[in-house]
Parts: sequence; structure tokens; C-alpha cells
Amino acid sequence: MIRVIALNELKRRLRDRSVLIGCLAAPLLMAAVLGLSFAGSNSPVAVRVGVSGASTQLLAAAVQASQLPPGVTIVSMPSEHAVKTGVADGLLDSGVAVLPGQMHLSSLLIPIVDPGATHTPGYDVVTKGTSQLGHEYAESVAAGISSVLYAQRAAHGIPVDPATVTITTQSVGHGGKINLNFFAPNIAVVFLFIGSGLGMRSLLMERAAGTLSRITAAPLRPTQIVLGKLLAIFVTGLATVFVIWAVTTFAFGANWGDPLGVLLMCVGATVAMCGIGVFLTSLAKTEQQAFGITLLVGLFLALLGGNLLPSGSLPDVFQVLALGTPNGWALVGFGRLDQLREPASSVVGPFLVLVVIALVAGGLAMTRVRKMVEP
Amino acid sequence: MQRAVGSSGAGATALGLPAMLRCEGLRKRYGDRLAVDGVSFSISERECYGLLGPNGAGKTTTISMLCGLTVRDEGEITVDGFEGGTLEAKAAIGYVPQDLALYPDLSAVENLTFFGQLYGLTGKELQARIGETLELVGLADRGKDRIGTYSGGMKRRANMAAGLLHRPKLLVLDEPTVGVDPQSRNAILETVGQLGIAVLYTTHYMEEAAKLCDRIGIIDDGQLIAEGTADALISAHGGLDKVHLSCDGADLAELNAACRQLDNIHGVHEVDGHLELTTDHGPAVLPAVVAVAARIGVDLTGVEVRSPNLEDVFLSLTGKELRD
Repeated sequence: MIRVIALNELKRRLRDRSVLIGCLAAPLLMAAVLGLSFAGSNSPVAVRVGVSGASTQLLAAAVQASQLPPGVTIVSMPSEHAVKTGVADGLLDSGVAVLPGQMHLSSLLIPIVDPGATHTPGYDVVTKGTSQLGHEYAESVAAGISSVLYAQRAAHGIPVDPATVTITTQSVGHGGKINLNFFAPNIAVVFLFIGSGLGMRSLLMERAAGTLSRITAAPLRPTQIVLGKLLAIFVTGLATVFVIWAVTTFAFGANWGDPLGVLLMCVGATVAMCGIGVFLTSLAKTEQQAFGITLLVGLFLALLGGNLLPSGSLPDVFQVLALGTPNGWALVGFGRLDQLREPASSVVGPFLVLVVIALVAGGLAMTRVRKMVEP
Repeated sequence: MQRAVGSSGAGATALGLPAMLRCEGLRKRYGDRLAVDGVSFSISERECYGLLGPNGAGKTTTISMLCGLTVRDEGEITVDGFEGGTLEAKAAIGYVPQDLALYPDLSAVENLTFFGQLYGLTGKELQARIGETLELVGLADRGKDRIGTYSGGMKRRANMAAGLLHRPKLLVLDEPTVGVDPQSRNAILETVGQLGIAVLYTTHYMEEAAKLCDRIGIIDDGQLIAEGTADALISAHGGLDKVHLSCDGADLAELNAACRQLDNIHGVHEVDGHLELTTDHGPAVLPAVVAVAARIGVDLTGVEVRSPNLEDVFLSLTGKELRD
């Protein structure tokens, strides 16, 4: 019976084209906009940090260690002078100049272990004072360099030789695709939330249209009715994410990461957003109320969870609060895959969190929604 | 006003057949308002039972409790031997709600397929039932058209088809002819008349109730105030026949006095320039009335005999019009 109700829901949504619009046209359009905006373009990125005095290998390792958010491009510069000039001219938002002969670990670690120290550091962080983000990211890069050097020394007992640091002009940034990799799953999560919230409005619409009374008069359990509706929402939600995944990947070259992990996160994000969406809909008494609540809370969660602004660019408290949202956890999972290139196993944790969120929100919703279909 | 509670109660069955539906002391309250107050009745197999009452009398609430759509505050319901509201009881009922309860974007066949599946029908059996049911309600040639393209009457018939598809043992029709054109109305009544199953039919159209139903329960303010066949109700509560006499320029007082002398005339009143006689049997006294008018030289321009109907029953029991 659950399948019968779900299929009926899908058939009707296909017939009135809402599925085609919500699951295909809108995601396609959004994926196209994202792809054309970011992938393969040379458009300026949000923050450019120039670095001089570090080898390409060291810099690449430092970038990974510093876990920079998307939108940050690291540019290797030939000299400290070039870094300072680039920042002064506005070509760079900030810079890090590793000072030749100062690559001793003790001096490199000073800013980390003792931020207020007056010792001469092993590098200069160059900023213009007008880019707070540039300043923070430059410090992150510097800290990353320190961390890598420390790790190398600790792991191998090999002292870092200043002579190995060479200056190159090779860019180690990710170009535009890092933005597409970040924004594509990001937008997909937003679509999921809106889709699931609006999908459950169907129950309210059926109640207003009278068909719900006919369904509830049939020999069905209320749970079967609600689960049937949920199944339809889950299928359409998953289809939406898959469309965005496929289009951004095959048409625009985005890389969401390990496909198995992406699949896991798509399922996890879909069930969680379905749970939250259904719960919010259950708070409404009319279709219009459900629409308003879904949009309002959706916008709030998108902002808090990091869908609109990278949570890394927000104050610490917001970064913590982001982990209280399903979309925040979805982005953690997707981020591990597409930003950090971690394997599928790395998203098991976020996946489980999303499932728990789905169960809690869905359970609460079920008790409320059942009242709609129970005598 | 004295309430005459239905004589059959929940225990009696009409037509000498087993009861398909038994209701005993149904009560439902919405806030301070008692929507249904101690309603009891039963319906036999193959009996058509009409629940007649004005809008807001409690008909739909009673039906909602029977079909398991509303939880009753008090009372017992048994459908085909199963407790009301259980899946078995629901499976035995075909519910046709007052408002159209179909998906306008889907065709009649698609709608019936879905609702049939909810009752466990599948495959060829489902397809066969759909064909039969559409034939029954006269929509066989429009089955593949979307419900949204149907006329109001066709929608009503399709609405009824969805309730009949699984061959219920008890068909519950909630005001199925409201707002329906005469042709579709007749088609619906004809369909109901030939079903041969237990039917609970709510309406505020007394003609329908009188024509269609084996027994009628009159409900008002949530209470079942009378129950029986139409003839029995009229006989018990409808009052006497009335004969209206019209005449041009005649002295009504002289005719009034002459009619009072006739046998079987219980009362004579002047109403709006006409004379109204009250009698046990209008047609029987008519020859004598015409003769006495001729004898005193009154030229009758109009004679109308009006027998009491359910409207009079309702007026008699409640003091108000059925359509109030």
C-alpha cells in the first residue's frame, strides 16, 4: 500500500509537471548556472593568497593541512617583493613570504604556540588591512606550512633544510572547479530541503481537496499513508540531487569525490532533509502556512548551515551551530569528499548523523502528520 | 418539543434480513456543540436507509463516524459484524463523500485504479471491475478522459464509481445529488436503486428519500427524531390531506359554512383568498365538495388536493422547514 500511495503521488506530480520542474528543470538550470559560473572559467575567485619562499610540494601540503574553504586560490610568487607588490596593487588579497634562512621550526611555530610573541617569525604575513578574509587565510597558510614542517620533522626525525625551499611561479590553486565542487552539492542540499517541504504539502492539499478522506476511509493504516507520501518525496529528492550531480560532473567537469561516498551522502542528505521538511510541514494547518514555514526555515538553515556563506568564513559560534543543522552535516560530508578528497569511509559519520536527524525529525513529524490522517 | 426517537433502535432490522450496520448511542461533540447526540439505527442487507435532515443536522458527522473518519465520543458501531473503524469494517464500506474526492488531473480509469488498489484489487480483476463500474454509472465511453474535463454531474457519477468499485457490502452516500443536473441526478438515483446492497443515503431532498429509501430516519440537531417507512412517518406525523378551493368573486363565507356540514371534513379555513379544507382523504371528499359548491351557486375556478409528505413530517416534528 505504501508503494501504491507513493506511485499515485509521483504519477500526479508527473501529470501536473511539478516533478519535471522541481526535479529536472530547476536543478538543470541551477547546475548550468553553477557550471557556467565556475567551471573552467578564469573569473577571479573570492580570495587570492600569494606565497613566496616555499617549494611547490611544501605549499601543496600546507594548503591541504590548512583546510582552506572553497574560493581561496593560492598563488606561488617568485619573491617576498612580488608578494608585497601584489598585495599592494590589489592583485592579491594577502600573502605569505617565507623568509630565506628563517625556516627553523622553532621560529615558524612561534605564531602558533604564542600568538602574542615578539620573536621574529620565519615568515611575514602580508595584508593590506582591507581584507579580513585574506588576512585570516594567509595566517592559515602560514600555520599550514608550520604544521607540515613540524609533522615532517616529528615523523622522520629529519631536520628541515632551508636550502630545499625554492621559489617557483607555478600556481597550486584549484582554479574555478573548487568552487563548483563546493557549490554544486551545496545547492543540491537547498533544493532537497525545499523539495521535501513542498512535497509534503500534498497531504494538506489532499485534505483540502477531499481525496484524503476517501483514502483514509479505505482499509489502510495511517502510517501507510504517511510513509507512502514520504517515499514519493524521497524519490523525487534523490532524483533532484542526482540530476545536479550528473550535470555538474559530466557537463562541467565538477568532481564531487568518491562516487560511493557521494551516493551515501546523497541518500543521507535526502532522508534528513525529508525528515526536517515533513516535520515543518506538519506544523502547518494550511498549504499556504506550509509554504511560508518551509521557505522561512529553509533560508535560516541555509544561512546557518553554510549553504549561502561558507561556514569557515563565519564566527566560531556559527561554525558550531552549523553542526546542529542537517544541511551543515551534509556539507561536512560532501566537503570531505570534494574538498579534502577523502574516501567514502570518511562520510560514514556524517551519514549516520543525517540518518539520526531524519529519524528524530521524521518521528516527530509522524506523530503530527498521523493526526491529519487518523480519525 | 417532544422528540420521537426511532422505534427500531439499534437492535431491529428491516426486511427480515441480518443487519449490515448497527449503530447504538452515537455521540460526537465539537467543543461546546453536540453534533451527534445519541443516534441509534440499523440497516439490513439490501436495505436502503435514508438519513433525512437539514444542513448541519449531523448527517455527515454520523457518516464520518461510521466510516472511521471521525472518532466517536460514545456509542457502538458494527459493520458486517466488525467493529466500526477497523480495517475489516472499512473494507466492507463504500464511501462516497459529499464533495468530489477524485484527482482532476487523472482520468476516471486512473482514479479508479488507485482507489481500487487501496482495497486490494489488482490486475485483471481490477480492470474488469473498473469496466463494470464505469458501465454502471454510465461513463464507460469517457473513462480515459481526465476528471477535470467532466461536467458536474459526470464528476458525481465518477465519485460514486470510486465508492462502488470494490463491491462494498454497505454503500454510504453523503448527499450525492447536491448541485447535480436533473439528468445526472436521475442516473445516480437509478444506479443506487439497482444496487441490491445495503445503502445509507443522506439527503435533505425529501423526494429522493421517499422515492429511494426503504426506511427513513429523520435527524435534526444531532438527534434521530423519527424513523420508519415514508408512509408510516407520514401517517404518524404528516397530518391530514388538504383541499384548496379557489373561486372568483364568490362568497367564501357561504362556501365555508356549506363545507363544514360535509362528512369527513375536520376543518375549514380561509387562506389568502382561498378555502382550505382538512380531511382524512382528499380525493374521497372531492365529489361532495364540488356538489355543494354547485348547489349554492359558487363557481370553483381551482381545486387542489394536497397529501402530506415528509416535509410536513419534519415540520410537524421540529416546527421548522426541512430546508431551513
